[in-house]
Amino acid sequence: MRNLRRFLSRQQNLLACTIVGFYILVAILAPQLSPPDDAGHPSPFRIVGKSHDPIPRPPSAEAPLGTVPGQMDIYYTLVWGTRSALRFGLIVTLTTACLGVLIGAVSGYYGGIVNGLVMRITDAFLTFPAIAGVWLFQQVMTPASSFAEPTPLQEAWLNLKLHPVMLTLILFSWMPYARLINASVVQLKQMEYVQAARAVGARNVRIILRHLLPNALSPAIVLGARDVGGMVILESAFTFVGLGGATEWGVLLVTSRDYVIGMSGNPLTYWWVFLPATLALVFFGIGWNLLGDGLNTLLNPRTSH
Amino acid sequence: MNCLAMRYFLSPMLKFLLRRLLSVLATLLVITAIIYGIVCVAPVESRARLYMGRRVSATLPPEVEQRWIESVIQEHGLNDPYPIQYFRWVSLLLRGEWGWSPILRSDVLDALLKRSPATVELTLYSLLLFIPLGLVSGAVAGWRRTRITDQVFRLVAFVSTSIPPFILGLVLLSLFYVGLHWFLLGYLSTAESLAVRSSSFKTITGLLTIDGLLNGRPDISLDAIRHLVLPVVTLSLFHWATLGRVTRVAMIEELDKDYIVAAHARGLPPRRILWQHALRNAAVPGLTTSALSAASLITGVYVVEVVFGWPGVSKLITYSMWQPDVALAAGFAVYSVLAVLSLMVLLDIIQAVVDPRLREGGSKS
Repeated sequence: MRNLRRFLSRQQNLLACTIVGFYILVAILAPQLSPPDDAGHPSPFRIVGKSHDPIPRPPSAEAPLGTVPGQMDIYYTLVWGTRSALRFGLIVTLTTACLGVLIGAVSGYYGGIVNGLVMRITDAFLTFPAIAGVWLFQQVMTPASSFAEPTPLQEAWLNLKLHPVMLTLILFSWMPYARLINASVVQLKQMEYVQAARAVGARNVRIILRHLLPNALSPAIVLGARDVGGMVILESAFTFVGLGGATEWGVLLVTSRDYVIGMSGNPLTYWWVFLPATLALVFFGIGWNLLGDGLNTLLNPRTSH
Repeated sequence: MNCLAMRYFLSPMLKFLLRRLLSVLATLLVITAIIYGIVCVAPVESRARLYMGRRVSATLPPEVEQRWIESVIQEHGLNDPYPIQYFRWVSLLLRGEWGWSPILRSDVLDALLKRSPATVELTLYSLLLFIPLGLVSGAVAGWRRTRITDQVFRLVAFVSTSIPPFILGLVLLSLFYVGLHWFLLGYLSTAESLAVRSSSFKTITGLLTIDGLLNGRPDISLDAIRHLVLPVVTLSLFHWATLGRVTRVAMIEELDKDYIVAAHARGLPPRRILWQHALRNAAVPGLTTSALSAASLITGVYVVEVVFGWPGVSKLITYSMWQPDVALAAGFAVYSVLAVLSLMVLLDIIQAVVDPRLREGGSKS
């Protein structure tokens, strides 16, 4: 409790919590903020007017923030997209963090050749650019031709209902967590209190979970907070390249990319097609980044400047 | 420098390079195993393309191609256990047979190499821009801690890491290409690209900026630079900010150390302490971070290429929307890993040059 008050007493942290809290609130209140046409199965997109109309329309009573080409309502998609952005960022970050922490802690605890080997493999994963992974997964999961049945392996994979982007980001972003945790676990396990725990007969699982992790976790928490925003921004970048589609903000930006450059050299001619979505993304990133910085000063006071 | 000094400098450096080379090989073995593991999910018919080297003629009737695929499955034992298949595939990779792409109707390695120079040029110039700038600005900000320089740096760095590069690219395009017309979109203007394709223009390095000068056509180099500025800036900004922030923190820690205090006490000029003593040590964490995030730099290169219509290797992604092309995607993955690894080795060499401890066999933590 005292920590919480100290955390919120800094303006920067208060701002971070306000921004993140705002997004969470929008996600929860989406049905109230922008009532869907079909309350049972709300779609994140809504078309106002004719869907073959390629000219984005400025803000009007129907679409408070205007429309993108194809007459998708920007305000509606922004509000409903908050849900999938938060869901995507949190799921990916939590899964990668757990995976990385587990790998890093266990291999660091056992040490020796095992640890050397696991860390080698971790470094190998670090050399794989996520974008190549997304593409490879997409290609691998499609059947050989349009009328071919998916193979049993593909079938099992498709049944997981994991978006290729999500799968790739989970598989190829746990390494920083593993490295962080590993470094501190290798140091901590030499300390007397761990040896004392072992001497009284505590089991390995207990030592890792109760004695090592709580002391090693704080840098991973900081990294995790920063990653939530980063993952969503990365995903929308993939959508932009043509490899994504897991969150709707990126889709919004892709549909209107031709209008961002603007006509007559003024980037603000069609400001509504990219400014609201960009700001939503930027502030999403800033909010989580600030939260990470704040947690860093709170949890690792010595290393933060 | 006399001969003895040369030997002193080179021999630890050579040892360092050899050690790096060994670890690169180990990494490659692991990562290709992962890539082939993912590839194995694909149906056998798609995987067969991986084994069709340059021998395939570009146009085959469908029935013939079908029979060809079946014979490839038989010949290369595509239903064998994974380890056997994996080693067969790696030996093919080493022989330069990366498979055949049904979409491009061409050899995968040829397709990648053809588009490589544009990607390499973009990456190299970004490195040349953001590494010195990041180190210097981070060092100065740390040196002038809490003063106005530091605060401006922190603000700019924070904003730069928050803006998604693909949006930044589009906004820069609309300002400087459509609006002011200072810089250009694409790779090369029409007149210049005709000149490059003509027989009198010799492709030596593949990099247009350098080839232009070597061919005595500085105008081509200039045109290439006008096209390069915006993508390079877009790509560099994020990595500049990250490198600068890490260097700044390292600098602050370094300036508290005893040897700096001692140097001050000896009456050395402060500037010399900053650039010759502190920066050498403060540069290492930042460069390590950059090396570790080389994969995200390459991802960034591909995204920026798409935004600016740059004819690099990422063009291949946009071709494959309609038909599965496992060979192309696998080749692309291997190519990207090789690109990341060469970036990492390059950054390691820079580190070893800056910090003699690394050369002398100390390991990085």
